[in-house]
Amino acid sequence: MKQRNPITLITGGLLVLIFLFMLFSYQVRLTEVAVVTRFGKYARQSDQPGFKYRFPWPIEKVYEFDKRLQNFESKYDPAITKDQIILQSSVYVGWRIADPKVFLERFNGDLATAERTLEPVVRNAKSEVIGLHPFSDLISTNVAEQKFDLIESNMLKRVQARARADYGVEVELLGIKQLGLPESITSSVFERMRAERQRLVARYLTEGERDAKILRANADGLANEILANARAEAIRISGEAELKAQEAYAVFERSPELAIFLFQLKALEQSLKERTHLVLDQQTPPFNLLSGAAAKAPAANPKQ
Amino acid sequence: MPQPGRPGGTDAGPVAIEDAGAQALAEALRSSFNLIKLVMVLLVGAFIASGLFTVKPNQVAVKLRFGRPVGVGREQLLQPGLHWKLPYPIHEVVYIPVGETHTLTSTAGWYAVTPEEEAAGQTPSPLPYLRPGVDGYALAGDGNIIHVRATMSYRINASEPLSYAFNFAQVTNLLQHVLDNALAYASARFNADDALYRDKLAFQELVLSRVNALVEQLKLGITLDVREVRTSPPLGVESAFNEVVKAQQQGDTKIREAESYARGATNNAVGEASTIRQDALTRSNYFVKTVEKEASNFLGFLPSYQRSPDLFTKRLLAETTQRVLTNAQFKTYLPERADGRPRELRLLLNKELEAPKKTETSTAR
Repeated sequence: MKQRNPITLITGGLLVLIFLFMLFSYQVRLTEVAVVTRFGKYARQSDQPGFKYRFPWPIEKVYEFDKRLQNFESKYDPAITKDQIILQSSVYVGWRIADPKVFLERFNGDLATAERTLEPVVRNAKSEVIGLHPFSDLISTNVAEQKFDLIESNMLKRVQARARADYGVEVELLGIKQLGLPESITSSVFERMRAERQRLVARYLTEGERDAKILRANADGLANEILANARAEAIRISGEAELKAQEAYAVFERSPELAIFLFQLKALEQSLKERTHLVLDQQTPPFNLLSGAAAKAPAANPKQ
Repeated sequence: MPQPGRPGGTDAGPVAIEDAGAQALAEALRSSFNLIKLVMVLLVGAFIASGLFTVKPNQVAVKLRFGRPVGVGREQLLQPGLHWKLPYPIHEVVYIPVGETHTLTSTAGWYAVTPEEEAAGQTPSPLPYLRPGVDGYALAGDGNIIHVRATMSYRINASEPLSYAFNFAQVTNLLQHVLDNALAYASARFNADDALYRDKLAFQELVLSRVNALVEQLKLGITLDVREVRTSPPLGVESAFNEVVKAQQQGDTKIREAESYARGATNNAVGEASTIRQDALTRSNYFVKTVEKEASNFLGFLPSYQRSPDLFTKRLLAETTQRVLTNAQFKTYLPERADGRPRELRLLLNKELEAPKKTETSTAR
């Protein structure tokens, strides 16, 4: 019995100590922020994670809130742009608890309630900002004119101002999630798109035709030019040859009779080269020899 | 062994029995106490073992002591392997799946499609209008309506996973919003044709860069890739879009045909031109050569001719006549008529001069 006593005592003491520890302490997780109230009134808050002391329940109460970035999206609802176009839109919002005291008082620490309260604020800001800009500030192929980012940041500023003061909430980001048009407008957009397509069909076809024609014509022109150049060159070449020949021809001037005789001879030979049928009579030399007397020939000559 | 102050010390029998009983009891107690000790050791062992946990190869883990991470900087991250912790209120372990690839798809801009249709790859029948909140779509920069969807994949950076794990609630939702935003943003800058057909790649790049910029701004500590961006014209006007594509192709075909014609025509011309040039060169060379040869012949003949023109011409003429007569295919000799008058020749010429038929008639006049 004497031996058991200290062990029991130690064990009992330890249990009591643990129990007291649990009563007099709490822990703040990395992802949380804690608010401590004393007799229902805000006493202090713990932003840093770790082990903390407190008075037990009836005196102090600990509320722990998720301090991570929360997100939700607004309803997809219409707003009117500055140029009177109805634009459907929804945005998403990223927010976190900035002031746990206000957050506790305002929402009793409930994230869902907070989002339900924030949503109309976001939607108002969205409608207000859209109302300040024409449609083309959001939807435009002209990148320089587009103010997508500016519109988002203006919406964010408006939401931030209210959320921080009234709800103890820091809205850190806001972005447009979806943009659209009212149902009735979509069908007229379809009509317009169809008409546009038909115009494009006509344009592509005629443009193709036109470009093809231009290409063909250009090619023909180029081909003709190439041929013309070649022909001109050919003429130049023969001209040069003619010139050279002229120099050679100068020789013939030394005896024109012989030259003419030789040319004729050559012409005769050339013209009678192939598939020739010659009809000869006895006056043609050397066949005049066949008629026996060369003396006869002069008599026949006058008749020719 | 006499015990002082012990009654009935002489009565050995009962004492011996009592002794034996006590001994047995003590024995039993000792053995059961040993058993209890063993159980306690086992329990302690089990307690220690229960604190063991493994971090899988595609994870890192963070150990929180009273809610605060144990360690500083990179030491906070427990790498894959076996680790030990105390039970809950003291220690808590958070696993972060860094090796895993997460995928999410934005369909906020896509037409409403039932899961059955999605699985079968079918598209729903087109409506003449789009219902807000039911049929998703995006507005293109030219005010047209297009459908867009995108799939992105991401992994948590193994070097800085704490932000992803502890700074954001419902991260998947947040990334979904970001992807939706990027699609709406990119659509609002592109005209429908570019987003749908002409410049899909640039559209996809813009979506990717927008998502990256937003994620960068959030310091999420993830690496992401936009894997697929699909765009589609509204189902109701799809046929009109297809016609445009067809027309474009037809136009392109015409142009391509013209281009190939053009190439052919120029190539032909170049070829022909070179033939013409070559011909001219050959002919000219030949001509010049001939003339030069004639000139040299002439010079060769000149002395003989000058010596005796008549003889020379006769000789040359005779030589030529000989050659001509040798070469001629047909030769007809007409002897002189007895009366000395010339004969009359009649030729019947065929189209083909191959074998000319000759009728010779002697007519007396």
